[in-house]
Amino acid sequence: MDFGFMMHYAPYFVNAAYMTVFISFFGLVLSLVLGLICVAVQMANVPVARQIVRAYVELSRNTPLLVQLYFLYFGLPKLGVSWSAETCAIVGLAFLGGSYMTEALRGGFEAVPRVQLESARVLGFSPVQTFLHVTVPQALSTAIPAVVANVIFLVKESSVVSAIALADVMYVTKDLMGQTYDTYESLTLLVITYLVILLPISIVGTVLERRFDYARR
Amino acid sequence: MRGAEILLQPGVFPRLLQGLWVTVWIAGASVLLALPLGLLVGWLMTLKNPAVRVIMRVYLDFIRIMPQLALLFIAFYGFAQAFDWNLDATGACVLVFVLWGAAELGDLVRGALESIPRTQYESAKVLGLNSWQTFTRVILPQALRRLLPASVNLVTRIVKTTSLATLLGVVEVIKVGQQIIDANRFQYPDATLWIYAVIFLMYFIVCWPLSIVARRLEKRWAHD
Amino acid sequence: MTDINATTTGSASLGVAGAAEHPAVTAQGAALSVRHLVKQYDNASAPVLNDISFDVPAGQVFVILGPSGSGKSTLLRTIAGLEPIQGGEITMGGELLRQAQSAGKLRSASASDSTKVGMVFQSYDLFPNKTVLGNIMLAPVLVQKRDKASVQAEALRLLERVGLADRKDAWPHELSGGQRQRVAICRALIEHPQVMLFDEVTAALDPEMVREVLDVILELANSGQTMLIVTHEMAFARAVADHVVLLANGSIVEESDHPQEFFDHPHTERAQQFLATFTYDRGQRQS
Repeated sequence: MDFGFMMHYAPYFVNAAYMTVFISFFGLVLSLVLGLICVAVQMANVPVARQIVRAYVELSRNTPLLVQLYFLYFGLPKLGVSWSAETCAIVGLAFLGGSYMTEALRGGFEAVPRVQLESARVLGFSPVQTFLHVTVPQALSTAIPAVVANVIFLVKESSVVSAIALADVMYVTKDLMGQTYDTYESLTLLVITYLVILLPISIVGTVLERRFDYARR
Repeated sequence: MRGAEILLQPGVFPRLLQGLWVTVWIAGASVLLALPLGLLVGWLMTLKNPAVRVIMRVYLDFIRIMPQLALLFIAFYGFAQAFDWNLDATGACVLVFVLWGAAELGDLVRGALESIPRTQYESAKVLGLNSWQTFTRVILPQALRRLLPASVNLVTRIVKTTSLATLLGVVEVIKVGQQIIDANRFQYPDATLWIYAVIFLMYFIVCWPLSIVARRLEKRWAHD
Repeated sequence: MTDINATTTGSASLGVAGAAEHPAVTAQGAALSVRHLVKQYDNASAPVLNDISFDVPAGQVFVILGPSGSGKSTLLRTIAGLEPIQGGEITMGGELLRQAQSAGKLRSASASDSTKVGMVFQSYDLFPNKTVLGNIMLAPVLVQKRDKASVQAEALRLLERVGLADRKDAWPHELSGGQRQRVAICRALIEHPQVMLFDEVTAALDPEMVREVLDVILELANSGQTMLIVTHEMAFARAVADHVVLLANGSIVEESDHPQEFFDHPHTERAQQFLATFTYDRGQRQS
């Protein structure tokens, strides 16, 4: 194991890690926003919009991210829409992530026992007050494990963006192996980089789950 | 749109279907091999032996935390050098999916077995059933009910992940699509959109029924 | 049964005829009157509550008994405003509280509604994201817009009264079912409801914890709070009731102002059948 090699090329991986985190971060934020909108639509029972959300969830969950990315990156330009690779990556990730977040959040909201809402009602809470003080805290508490799992899942999925020539960790690894033939070291750097990205997220996730587990005890 | 006509060209659709078959084949083979291995892993995970538990834990956590593409790279580029195997891309894919599938399945099996209340074992014992009878007639049916929906879900995920095989050079449906697009670059410049759309739909047609089955099973066997 | 005199003065407890008979009219308890109440679900063939009428004088305890499915919980829920009614009306202290709605939707609760009816449910669910004190204080501060300091003082007094003052900072999951139920009672009481509803509040509790909750309700009864109680605890019902009503298949089968007499010598056969389900007889051993 050539440590000198690894130290020498580490900076490339650091940059690549930034790329991964960058894409994942924006993809996640958009996923959550999209998820919240979809859940709101589902709960508000808007008729047509509900079916659209349903169709969206099914379509994005049953197709691979890679195909979605290729479609955006190679296909859209034919329609005159030319997005940068970063934009395609973030949009693709958000498209996929949105449906996963919708399911996670929906599970949270549906898990709030009816009795809680009734207690609030009899105590005189307005619908808005019930939503803010009773529904949301309990829904969040229930949904957090699923949301955390989705975050980790999406960060891993972002490894696919190397396919549309974004210099993320996978891309850099492949490049390095192609140039230097030092596969062991390159792959080791790969593993280390992903561990460095994902382990903290996992730990923070566990802490958050514990902090908000009041509805699950 | 002119591009759509490419789908009607002779040989195009059949080739895409062939590519789809490769996808399905890789997923299927992986699932078939992962099943017995997964059951084994699951059983190992329920053992009391701390060494076994630690090994299983590390195995599961590693496979889960690394992105699948990274695992594919490690298998394809790494193992080949390490063990002097000349693993072709398809082999590497199947290897990774089997190991990954077995890990996930093992965890599901462990979860299912552990979620069966002890009282089930105790009632059976008091009624006079022996270990084997208890396992096959009382425990297994219940474990399967908890296991099956999530397992079908796993199969769906494996199918979707086979898309990564393209990046290793395997000629499955995406690669075939790209070949078609390249070959017809001049006659059908818009083909890109349509080919990818078709591939998108093909994955959907394979995975969606599986999702529905998983959901039906879950509803049918919903336990409190 | 007393008639309700409709002299309203804004405070619902005053101006109730029959006050001479029931000296314990307090600022807390108002009289409740139900007239020809009908409740039917949309796709049901028969109404769940069929032309129910009764009066609960201020400060009295009204116990509702009956087999499951007789509509007891539904009755409480319509009074609480959780379910719409299809016929009849409910008045409290002379003011109209609930009436039949043509559309199926309920009016949303207003802040003034919260002072009228308080309810404790069978499932002792407190808000899991708040401590005991937080649970009790949330509604009066948020809904009734009362001053935090005085609400806190009253909350502590209530906790003292039910014996849980030392648990004010505990989280719901740290408490037993009986403790949680007692907190739920405080949570409802702090809003000064004119009528309190108890829907089988001990049915889901372990037997040892039933007593502590019922003791609280007994004490409350003696303070003059108007209450409607649905329960299966016969000994308790016997002790606490001022009036007893037997509900079966959505109608009042028998009612009595003299609970002791009702339990010992029920008049109707249906009542006799019902009460018999609570007594056991081993019968003769075959020799």
